[in-house]
Amino acid sequence: MKDAPSDVLRGTLDLLVLKTLTLEPMHGWGISQRIQQHSRSVLDVNQGSLYPALQRLEQKGWIDSEWRASDNNRRAKYYRLTSKGKRALGTETETWRRYVTAVEDILAVT
Amino acid sequence: MTLNAIRLRLRALFDRAGAEGDLDEELRYHLEREAELYVRQGLSPEEAYRRARLAFGSVEATKETYRDQRGTRGFEDFVGDVRYALRTLWRDRALTVAGVVTLALGIGATTAVFSAVNAVMLRQLPFAEPGRLVELWEENPDRGWYKNVVAPANYMDWSEQANAFAGMAAYTDWLSNVTLVGQGEPQILVATVVTGNFLSVLGVRPLYGRGFTDADTWDEGQRPAMISHRVWQTSFRGDSSVIGRSFSLGGRPRQIVGVMPKDFAFPTPSTDLWLPTLFSRDDRVRASFRRAHWLRVVARLKPGVSRDAANASLQTVVKRLQAQYPEFNTRMGAGITPLHEFIVGDTKRPLLVLLAAAAVLLLIACANVGNLLLVHALSRGRDVSLRFALGATRSRVARQALTESLVLSTAGGLLGFALGWAGARALLAMQPTGMLPINDISIDYRILAFAILITTLSGIVFGISPAVIATRQSPAQALNAGGRTFTGGRVRRWGRHLVLAEVALAVTLTVGAGLLLRSYERLSKVEPGFDSQGVLTASLALPGARYDSGTKVTSFYTQLVRRLNEIPGVERAAAVRQLPVTVNAWSSDISVEGRGTDGVITEVLHREIMGDYFRTMRVPLLRGRSFTDADVANAPLVVVINETLAKQQFSNEDPIGKRISFDRVPDSTSFWRTIVGVVGAEHQGGLAIPARPEVFAPMAQDWTRGMALVLRAAPGRDPLSLIGPLRQSVRDLDSLLALSSVRPMSGVHAEAMSRERFTSLLVLVFALTGIVLAVVGVFGVLAQLVQTREREMGIRMALGAQQAQVRWLVVRHGMSLLVGGIAIGLLTALGATRVLATLLYEVEPTDALTYAVVGMLIATIGLLAAWWPARRASAADPALTLRAE
Repeated sequence: MKDAPSDVLRGTLDLLVLKTLTLEPMHGWGISQRIQQHSRSVLDVNQGSLYPALQRLEQKGWIDSEWRASDNNRRAKYYRLTSKGKRALGTETETWRRYVTAVEDILAVT
Repeated sequence: MTLNAIRLRLRALFDRAGAEGDLDEELRYHLEREAELYVRQGLSPEEAYRRARLAFGSVEATKETYRDQRGTRGFEDFVGDVRYALRTLWRDRALTVAGVVTLALGIGATTAVFSAVNAVMLRQLPFAEPGRLVELWEENPDRGWYKNVVAPANYMDWSEQANAFAGMAAYTDWLSNVTLVGQGEPQILVATVVTGNFLSVLGVRPLYGRGFTDADTWDEGQRPAMISHRVWQTSFRGDSSVIGRSFSLGGRPRQIVGVMPKDFAFPTPSTDLWLPTLFSRDDRVRASFRRAHWLRVVARLKPGVSRDAANASLQTVVKRLQAQYPEFNTRMGAGITPLHEFIVGDTKRPLLVLLAAAAVLLLIACANVGNLLLVHALSRGRDVSLRFALGATRSRVARQALTESLVLSTAGGLLGFALGWAGARALLAMQPTGMLPINDISIDYRILAFAILITTLSGIVFGISPAVIATRQSPAQALNAGGRTFTGGRVRRWGRHLVLAEVALAVTLTVGAGLLLRSYERLSKVEPGFDSQGVLTASLALPGARYDSGTKVTSFYTQLVRRLNEIPGVERAAAVRQLPVTVNAWSSDISVEGRGTDGVITEVLHREIMGDYFRTMRVPLLRGRSFTDADVANAPLVVVINETLAKQQFSNEDPIGKRISFDRVPDSTSFWRTIVGVVGAEHQGGLAIPARPEVFAPMAQDWTRGMALVLRAAPGRDPLSLIGPLRQSVRDLDSLLALSSVRPMSGVHAEAMSRERFTSLLVLVFALTGIVLAVVGVFGVLAQLVQTREREMGIRMALGAQQAQVRWLVVRHGMSLLVGGIAIGLLTALGATRVLATLLYEVEPTDALTYAVVGMLIATIGLLAAWWPARRASAADPALTLRAE
């Protein structure tokens, strides 16, 4: 059981998904697992909301998908970062950092 | 939207099942992997799966978000609606077919007729600034002339002296036949004679080559000709090198200088050849140039000059000419009509009647579609209530109903378009010769759109909205009532009103059709004064170049008629200048010897004949004798008059032996002709026009080059079998001549009624369609009545009502609709058919018999339509209906 898992901030899910996919092509469940592990279970992705996010990213052309055999030899839908996605990740990360800095600055002052 | 998004969306649209399946599989994979994780932690598979779902959240909500994000929601709903509509419509096949056919008939009829009306009456003439073109004509109250042809000398004076006109041209509207020799078999071309400025006044340029010049009005030795696009295509194979070359036309070489554009149909669509007037300069001062009236005049108003001003300027000249030439022009007036109005002329009224008939049919179709949809919606009342109960919003239900009507309208509209297209072509193909002064009808898409729109709208307004409003009740109430109370009386009454209107309109339309048919029947019973059965006719025109004297012409026709009489199978043959019922105004004034100026008889028709025309056509000889071979050129001049003239002028005396002259004011140089016989009167100008006074002269004494040949076949012989020998006889005498208008006299007779037949048949077709639609309406209402009151019928029968009584209940209901509708319809007809008055021959628009027959007819058909639902009602098994509770 996880303790008080905080919701991923709205909008940052896309960023997390993109970042996760820089490692290798992955299927939906894999992405959710990876995000959970790397955030040491602090960020517990609401699994259900992952799929509409993947659809959104695919519509934007930032990721690509294809069906292939998974590690346990079953058919799974794998997502892969496109070059357009890589560029988007750069700008999104930048935006995120500025946002965090701004918030921290405010917190430090008060 | 990125390319990817479009691809995904398209996939969602066209492979919806595939896209959904993929999503299912993806989510299932996720849940299974998650569950495996918990199993490894030691949970039971069931518990593990429950946990996995818990961690995931609502699978359905995810799918919904996913679907929404696909962005094809609205479309998918629409597709769903259409599918659902197709299913319901398919389930109610009879109604769907009735609806689509109704729509198609209404839309098709309106589109076809309106397109024709548009082509004839509303479309601008294909001339430059057609609004400034006017037709000038002469009138003479003493002679009953109105919009009459103009004397050439008067035309020239108008043209030179009236200053309101930028140009004034003349042309002939009686078309002459000219033989084209040298392009295959000799061919007859229909020609009109025009002044040199004809095209420049109309503002039309030839497609190829040039038009005539002003100089061509006068004979300067040039013989130019312009040909129609059709002749250029058919006789000259569209060869543009034809321009400038000479061909034998009417026995003379003429140089083709121009080819007219395809849509040029002036003065008529059948004109093939335009020839210049080539007046002789000497003509100008001849008396005949002012006495004989034979030109049509078209003029272009100067810019900024109103028609009134132009008329004033014309009247000034007319007054001057009246004073200047008292012997010809004393009572000769003139007038102006816009060219378009002049061309449309008497085609206007039949077309407007057809348009009115089509419009009434469209109205009936509207009411019928409304009624059908109402019945349909009501019969699905329980369905609708159920959907409300399951949470459908009113707008969703209304949208569903709308979709249904749109699907119906689309099908009806497509079929209607096809019908309209075919109908417009059929109208053009079946029209009586020359009725529509156009050579093409294109579909008017505005009217098509209008017809589709109005039928759709009336379906929605009259049918769907009342039904949807009627469902404004709690679903529980509706479901409890088992779909009965819900067909509220108000809505049912509304349906009855629609049907009442339908029946009334159908009755009005049928009365109109009935009157036209009666008139046609009267017309076909008119005794034309001759026997058209078994007679073959043909026209022949001798070219003036080779037949340049009376002797040559007379000798040719004498020989020809003799040869024709020798053809085996010919009982008798003769020639006459014009066939009866086709004569158009060759009249003159005659004077009777010894009567002075009181003896002047105006407007007497005259025709020349060769051979025994009267016996050939079985025109009875009433007194005296017919012409004989002895009535040659240098023998005493003789004439035969018709009964009408005899009765009018010689009622108290024997006309035989009296002498007449074709001169109005006879002098010492006048020829006097002795009346030797009286024959029965033929209808000369048409069947509806009574016989006019007429004088016949033997051709040897009054020669003319164009004649109609009449051959009566021996008993039992088909007159058409004489065509070959007839052509051979003509060829034997002169191989460069061509016959035209070869047809049986019965065909000529029928053609004289063709306009009336065309109009009355078309209106009849509309009326019958209207009746069918109205009957479908009556049927629909009664069937609906029986369906919703089946339980009541069952109870009645359970309580001992006889089958006949139950049937009577339904029939009575049908009768109330019919009687009301028929009464309203007959009253409407009394007012509406007045527009037909001028089209009717010897039938009053209030003809009681027609009204009675139409009333009875529609009552009978309506009752037959009521019979089936009535039988169904009485066939209700009381036990079954009660058990259904």
